[in-house]
Amino acid sequence: MRFAVDTGGTFTDLVIEDEGHLSVHKSSTVPADPVQGILDAFEVAAAERGCARRELLERGTMLVHGTTRGLNAVLTRKVARTAFLTTEGHPDILLLREGGRRDIFNQRQPYPEPYVPRSLTFEVPERVGAQGEVVRELDEEAVAGLAARLRRERVEAVAVCLLWSIANPVHELRVGELLRELLPDVPVTLSHRLNPCVREYRRASATAIDASLKPLMTAYISGLQGRLRDAGFGGRVLMVTSAGGALDAGDVAASPIHSLNSGPAMAPVAGRFFAGLDTTAPMAIVADTGGTSYDVSVVRDGRIPWTRESWIGEPFRGHMTGFPSVDVRSVGAGGGSIAWVDRGGLLHVGPQSAGADPGPVCYGRGGTRPTMTDACLVLGYLDPGYFLGGRSALDIEAAREAIRTQIAEPLGLDLLEAAGAVHRLATERMVGAIEEISGQKGVDPAQAVLVGGGGAAGFNTVAIARRLGCREVIVPIMGPALSAAGALISELSRGFETTFRTTTEAFDFAGVNAVLADLADRARAFIAGPGAGAVEASVEFSAEARYPSQVWELEVQMGAEGALDAEGLERLKKAFHEVHRDAFAVDDPGSPIEFESWHVRARCRITEPVLPEAGTGDGTRLERDIYLPGVGTVAAEVWRLEAVPVGAELRGPAIVESATTTIVIDDGAVFTRRPSGTIHVVPGTGAAAAAVPAGGAATGRGGK
Amino acid sequence: MDGVRMAVISNRLNVVVEAMMNTVFRSSRSGVLNSAHDFSCCIVSADHELVMGAESLPIHMMSGPDLISRAVLRFHPEMRRGDAYLHNSPYNGNSHAADHAMLVPVVDDAGVHRFSVLAKAHQADCGNSKPTTYMTDARDVYEEGTLLFDACRVQTDYQDNDDILRMLRLRVRVPDQWWGDYLALIGAVRLGERRVLELGDELGWDVLQEFVDEWLAYSEGRMRAAIAELPAGRLSLSTRHDPFPGIPDGLDIKIGVEVRPEREEIEVDLTENVDCLPNGLNLTESTAATAALIGVFNSIGEGVPPNAGSLRRVRVRLRDGCAVGVPRHPHSCSAATTNLADRVTNAVQRGMAELAEGIGLAECGAVIPAAAAVVSGVDPRSGGRPFVNQIFLAVTGGAATPWSDAWLTIFHVGCAGMLRRDSVEIAEMTHPIRVSRQRLVSDTEGAGRFRGAPSAEVEYGPVGTSMTVAYGSDGAVHPALGVRGGGAGGLTRHLRRDRSGELTELSSQGLVELADGERIVSITAGGGGYGPAVDRDPARVQEDVREGWISPRRARDVYGVALREDLSIDEAATALLRAEPASARPPSQAS
Repeated sequence: MRFAVDTGGTFTDLVIEDEGHLSVHKSSTVPADPVQGILDAFEVAAAERGCARRELLERGTMLVHGTTRGLNAVLTRKVARTAFLTTEGHPDILLLREGGRRDIFNQRQPYPEPYVPRSLTFEVPERVGAQGEVVRELDEEAVAGLAARLRRERVEAVAVCLLWSIANPVHELRVGELLRELLPDVPVTLSHRLNPCVREYRRASATAIDASLKPLMTAYISGLQGRLRDAGFGGRVLMVTSAGGALDAGDVAASPIHSLNSGPAMAPVAGRFFAGLDTTAPMAIVADTGGTSYDVSVVRDGRIPWTRESWIGEPFRGHMTGFPSVDVRSVGAGGGSIAWVDRGGLLHVGPQSAGADPGPVCYGRGGTRPTMTDACLVLGYLDPGYFLGGRSALDIEAAREAIRTQIAEPLGLDLLEAAGAVHRLATERMVGAIEEISGQKGVDPAQAVLVGGGGAAGFNTVAIARRLGCREVIVPIMGPALSAAGALISELSRGFETTFRTTTEAFDFAGVNAVLADLADRARAFIAGPGAGAVEASVEFSAEARYPSQVWELEVQMGAEGALDAEGLERLKKAFHEVHRDAFAVDDPGSPIEFESWHVRARCRITEPVLPEAGTGDGTRLERDIYLPGVGTVAAEVWRLEAVPVGAELRGPAIVESATTTIVIDDGAVFTRRPSGTIHVVPGTGAAAAAVPAGGAATGRGGK
Repeated sequence: MDGVRMAVISNRLNVVVEAMMNTVFRSSRSGVLNSAHDFSCCIVSADHELVMGAESLPIHMMSGPDLISRAVLRFHPEMRRGDAYLHNSPYNGNSHAADHAMLVPVVDDAGVHRFSVLAKAHQADCGNSKPTTYMTDARDVYEEGTLLFDACRVQTDYQDNDDILRMLRLRVRVPDQWWGDYLALIGAVRLGERRVLELGDELGWDVLQEFVDEWLAYSEGRMRAAIAELPAGRLSLSTRHDPFPGIPDGLDIKIGVEVRPEREEIEVDLTENVDCLPNGLNLTESTAATAALIGVFNSIGEGVPPNAGSLRRVRVRLRDGCAVGVPRHPHSCSAATTNLADRVTNAVQRGMAELAEGIGLAECGAVIPAAAAVVSGVDPRSGGRPFVNQIFLAVTGGAATPWSDAWLTIFHVGCAGMLRRDSVEIAEMTHPIRVSRQRLVSDTEGAGRFRGAPSAEVEYGPVGTSMTVAYGSDGAVHPALGVRGGGAGGLTRHLRRDRSGELTELSSQGLVELADGERIVSITAGGGGYGPAVDRDPARVQEDVREGWISPRRARDVYGVALREDLSIDEAATALLRAEPASARPPSQAS
């Protein structure tokens, strides 16, 4: 039996895989003691199964855990007292950052504080040059003096990022040794070991964040393991990573930054799996709709893309880590996003959110500003009596009133038109996020399947697909718990990389092949170590390359072959020009290519994935009036998810609902329930799409 | 058109211009583009109205694309699909010669010109007589030496016109780098063209035209509302640029601002200024108008889309043949985006700040210091290949606002902090240089209730070769002023450190040859403060001392906050200090 536990802001989701059967359980997150929330979820699952919690836990062989614990600690600055050590002359790396700004005529935004204050930043007398040459020897006595100072300052963690340690780590390593001797009880992170990427700010930022999380995450992980053991669990504990894989919990404790962005990284893993299971499309756009944000990623040929440029917090105001993580774009548009009309009469949806507290107006918990969820309730998409399976009734009158006074009247629309406008605008903001990422990845949405995940996904997934021209949409049965589902099917995986520059003008075959051989060894060691006993293991090489004097690299896949000959280089060159053309509409086939770094990712599939199995539906259904923008009020069939007969081709307008989600099937769309339980939709074009520029959203950029 | 549909279409056009920006940023070759982000992308209507610009350097954008669109149409009345035009004439709507603008008409299937998409990018080199894109000392355009393109068709039917491209190859330094940047620009405008064509096909061109009208009316309405809330006022402002070649005593600039809330409009008068100067500082029609507009938008523009609609409410009066107006050929406008332009913007936002609390900004620091020089030479690491590029190390300069301390890395007021900074490692990887120091200088902030940015100190030099460093910075004599009682920011300064470590003072502008082992030290300008320094929350002053932004002495002398040895606040002594009349304290100037 295997478990996946995803600790979210509101709910802790537990997925159990038991001899070919999957089940989902939810319990409230306990923010002050997240492990308690996990144990509670097991209690809920045990009760539903009619067994004792210990009995359930004892049967488990593996638990894959995702948590926002590290991320929340960073965002709220509740991290260890951390010192930053860097090359003399450059103390302001974390303060000066990389420039750039947003919303330039809004003068109310304060400049971000450095992650480590200047008063805890210390300069190390030393310098390595761009070619790795030692320009100034390390002053070891000065380091010893610094160690004493750090002791006096009661520092709890140390981040070391010296200039060009990625070209020659000799000084950084020596500083690490000295600190280990002199401050044996204080955890240290060295930048070149953690994140060997060029650009000192982002490397320093990743290093500082990693070090600052070590005391906290070490304590959390050992607490988790200990309490799970005491409760009866004797299996292996893995944690999901920002790269969309899993690592042993002990490895994450040693480098906690691995888990920092793991939340949004799991949806594409699950989305890829279900897209492969239920469709034949070569590309999937995976969308995860939460309460406040809409997260999008693009999976192409089964490959989950990564980026070095994800922000922790807002762009230009949060922290950039340069740490490879799954490329997920986020816009502030979700079920709780607030709709408002500005002084000039322009409608906006988000980025403000009513969050979980007070939540939408219809929750009756003190929310006064209308949200996307309120609009969907007014439109008839939500059943006020069946929200969360009927556990909590919704106040439709309050939602109507908020939309009437705050949206309909200022815009001069009637109530349903106004609610439809909110829905269209939210849809358009989500479409914009997809267009941005698919454009940058060179993906044509018309060739892709749209995978809708998250509890609020179903409100407009079909509308989004229409607007983008997607031919297929799927909402997997595990969709509302997409992250936990992703954790369960994630692979044990780890990437290794080496910076080694060469150019096609004088390609260093021997040098590159030595680097690739070393990477292959490290990948093999991972497969033989943590990956021992895997069902299947694979390695994939790639290179980061650019045209001369470009500074942003593109990733080029090299397959499983860890060696390059003249022919292989020709293939690699051709592939680079193609990737460049896909990304930027132009290539420069006459130009040499410069290679910057070489990568390998080792993947170990730990178990055979279990396919969900749906029961056959009994075909019962109700009917309810819903309002579809551009069509008007129509009578729609309302299906409970489990009642939809498997394999039958059904037509919209319809609503498919379960305790955790509601799927709106627009007029003219055709849907089928697959044997896996997935709802598969062919969106069609429909009267609605033809009549209006379906979609709708957005704040003009100056209009916030 | 309802507010919903307008929001939808504006969002979609914004996605288009952002996609164009991404193409230039990621695929260009020179650091000024692919690291510093010194470019902009926008969509203008067929009748030359700025409809949608990606958020980028405002000095590129607010007025300029409209003028360029007009210039291209004047010479090429028939717009055909597949054409592309290169334009950089400062006498015909461009910002300055170093910004290459690429314009592509969006022509529908019926052959009707509907929109134009533009991408404008600062070049690493534009063929000037010296290796810099800011020829501040050029007596005229001939001495400047730049290659000028006045609405030149560089593509027909999507094919390059090699005649013109070959000219460029012969006249820009490091032609392969330029070629890569040209490809990036073409990639961006072609992407924009395709996306707008798709949008027109999908929504209908009439709908898009209706959108343009309503969107501009909406934007104008937002600006009307913002101006209506201002107090009425007539301001006679003056500011002074430092002595430079051609202006040995510096230059006074006079600006009249009239705020007419009852008519919901603002007028800025730049006509009372000197005729064109015998140097490269002359503004262009685009940058003179935009400089004034940025000052207004920085003061009141929150939430107002900057486009042709909102700009209608601000009238900028310019005079032909004026250094701060419309230039006359052959006067040089090589540095038209920075020095005098920044003076105009800073004075306008300072003036607006004096109107009332909660409006305007202090002044931002002046540029362009050697910390952001154009560097050139040959790179010994690549067998002696030539290099030329503008580097972007630490330039601070942010102004204090009515609500917060300065945005530290604003760089200069005309770019609004949109320029990115090179990392030291990328700068050292792409040029044969070493940056030995880069840090803030304490006690150089414009003091105030909210403080301006302190100066930065940057020191670097060539490694294994010699190198030319070209820069030209205002602000060595006349600092960025504070407002409403706030202090001025630190002055700029340049020094040469020779091989023995000796420092000698350098001029504020020019080309400096550095031998191997020599270094240049660039102290950049601080930004002005907002409000009296003695009104600053003592806890913030304490924090500033703890974090090394200011010394305990400055806390006491300028901010009137007494700190004990352990940096705790001595409340009684602070109260006494703050009770002193202002005249008893040293002026809250930067040291």
